[in-house]
Amino acid sequence: MSLAVYLVVTLGFAALTLGARGRPGLSTAFGLVGLVAATVAALAIDPTDVVAIGRSGLAASAYARLFLVLGSLVGLGLALAALASGTRRDAPMATLATLGIASLTLTLTDPRIAVVSATTGGLFGVWLILAPGADRAGATLGIRELRAVVVAGMMAIAATAWIGRDLTQLAAQPVVFGLAYLCFALAVAVRFGAIPFHLWAARLTDAAPETALPIITVLAPASLAIVALAWIDASIAPLLVDLELERIVVLAIAVASIVLAALAAFVQDDLEHVVGYSIVGDAGVVVLALAVLEPAGWAPARLWILVFIVTRSAFAAWAGGIRTTFGTGRTPDLGGWAIRSPILAIAFGLIVIAGVGLPGLAAFDARSSLVRLALDGPAASMVLLGTLAPLAYYGRLLVIGLGRPSGATRPADRAIEWRPRARRPDLTSPGAWLKTTWQGNRAFSGAVIAAMLGVLALATSVGAFGGPAAAAGLPAIVEGPSETFAPTPSGGIGPAPVESGLPSFQPIPTR
Amino acid sequence: MNPALAGVALAVVLGAVVAGSARSARAAVLGLVAALVLAPLLADPTPQPFGLAARLIAAILAGYLLWVAARGSGVRTGGSRLGWPAEVLIASAAAVVGYGSEGLGAPALGPALAQAAGFALAALSIAPIASGRDVVRVGTGLLLLANGAILVRTALGGTPEALEEVAIAGMIAALGGAVAVLAMSARADGTGFELAADRSVRQRRFADAHPLDPQ
Repeated sequence: MSLAVYLVVTLGFAALTLGARGRPGLSTAFGLVGLVAATVAALAIDPTDVVAIGRSGLAASAYARLFLVLGSLVGLGLALAALASGTRRDAPMATLATLGIASLTLTLTDPRIAVVSATTGGLFGVWLILAPGADRAGATLGIRELRAVVVAGMMAIAATAWIGRDLTQLAAQPVVFGLAYLCFALAVAVRFGAIPFHLWAARLTDAAPETALPIITVLAPASLAIVALAWIDASIAPLLVDLELERIVVLAIAVASIVLAALAAFVQDDLEHVVGYSIVGDAGVVVLALAVLEPAGWAPARLWILVFIVTRSAFAAWAGGIRTTFGTGRTPDLGGWAIRSPILAIAFGLIVIAGVGLPGLAAFDARSSLVRLALDGPAASMVLLGTLAPLAYYGRLLVIGLGRPSGATRPADRAIEWRPRARRPDLTSPGAWLKTTWQGNRAFSGAVIAAMLGVLALATSVGAFGGPAAAAGLPAIVEGPSETFAPTPSGGIGPAPVESGLPSFQPIPTR
Repeated sequence: MNPALAGVALAVVLGAVVAGSARSARAAVLGLVAALVLAPLLADPTPQPFGLAARLIAAILAGYLLWVAARGSGVRTGGSRLGWPAEVLIASAAAVVGYGSEGLGAPALGPALAQAAGFALAALSIAPIASGRDVVRVGTGLLLLANGAILVRTALGGTPEALEEVAIAGMIAALGGAVAVLAMSARADGTGFELAADRSVRQRRFADAHPLDPQ
């Protein structure tokens, strides 16, 4: 029931926001109220909530609840940051719709339905790409994003459909299992824009503002990645089939994304591209987790996804704050930004610690575990070093920020400064006073939002909110898995004996 | 072979051929709607009424939104450069492969005809998705691919339950709506659905790369 409330709140407010699109003020109000209500509804989700529908259904979990709480909070933060920087009034609507569909994706117990839901969730991103005036360039980028979302979704649908049935009379070679695994892993890589599938994601930054990027390339694909992890854990990991070749392909994509994306972010001069490539780099760790075909990878992978969502959103909000304050996102023009805006400097520090981490932090340990589980020997050490590559672009931004102030780092608008400025409340015209106060404090608001998201990111990275425990929780199963691999106790062929709440790690006879 | 199912499969594939080859945008939308509306019927047993209704409504809604996006006389889309006979041959060859590989290595729970039609739709979607030069053509390809994948899923796993049908309906409607929104954006300057030309050289981004949204 609590799941239904969340779904109604998110999709209901998304519809209201869309319906009021002709009246921007009302639409924005609906969107922000909706995101606040979504956060409250997410907090109210009962982790034991189960709704059986036919042979499958919806089952909440502590992890789904935490994902939705954090998703709603960062959605609210990004919407406010977008409001401060004055871009894309459709952001709250798309965020609400994406969160609503993500709640379905995370709680559907049948992966065949969950991948359909995850694909649907990715379709709302087009609203964020279209420029306010709606133009051909935006439509071109939008259709390319749709292409990536749909092609990835259909790969995932094909993979889950092939395995999601009775395979006791398998006539195909076991290699087909490997193809199904590869298909789903590639689908996740395409959705994240992992290298070499990054062209659409790189172009996206030309049209979507930085505050919208996490909704399109982090939040929506993350739900598909979580489904992929559950599906691989239940259907692929227990196989007695040699999947080394497929793993190598997935590992190559993951390592290329981790290292090359950090390099690409380092050489970019636009903050949008830095944010975009930083997302690709961290997504590489998620793809790496798909190559860990052991139950030990389950908890760290899911914890990393939570940290990934919050940290990248905070970084995007920071970039939005920079644009609001200085009126530019070009790094050569941002000399001295850290000196001129101390709040943004604090936010930046929090984001760096949360994203790169320190030994002992839950996120750092989770990422290290994933690397060690996926790779052995010197390769593991090298990739572990590669995960620290973001320090290069963070360092470059910091050097610029501490350098000689450039002319561009004067506030873009004299009325906008990083410090709060409040006039005496005018009770005779509270609306005008609020509007003036908001306009005069947009830079301050953007910086504070980035700092708050930075605190949230650091808390998630530390392991607060019960993240590690929630990530270690197993997915609820309304009924046995849809695929049938193992003989039943009676000797016949039927659903594998699965204790409710536990995945079926049953070895599959493949000959 | 069930003759009724064979007739439905034939109609689905013919609709997809029209969608993939027509140069009139509205003709392409009509063909697409035919394929989308008839696809859920290509199952044995027939889907539960609630799920079937959801699929039909979603297909009509997606088609309606695309129809609105293509309003006006003589609105063109790319169409097939090879012509409809080549599209028929491609669809036929793919359908034969799909029918012949029923179950893809394990017993299928749905009709082989669904797999045949699914393969045909997927084959027809490749050219628009890979080389389409306008929003409606690429969008048509994406809808054909989605429909084809769902048909293959139906052939492998049997008729989807009501919950899955509703989820599929949501995806089809959302995809149709997204393509329609993009198509209308592309046509905002009054010319056509063509994609913007790629810039061979990255341009310097200025501070106003993301103009403020007029509030």
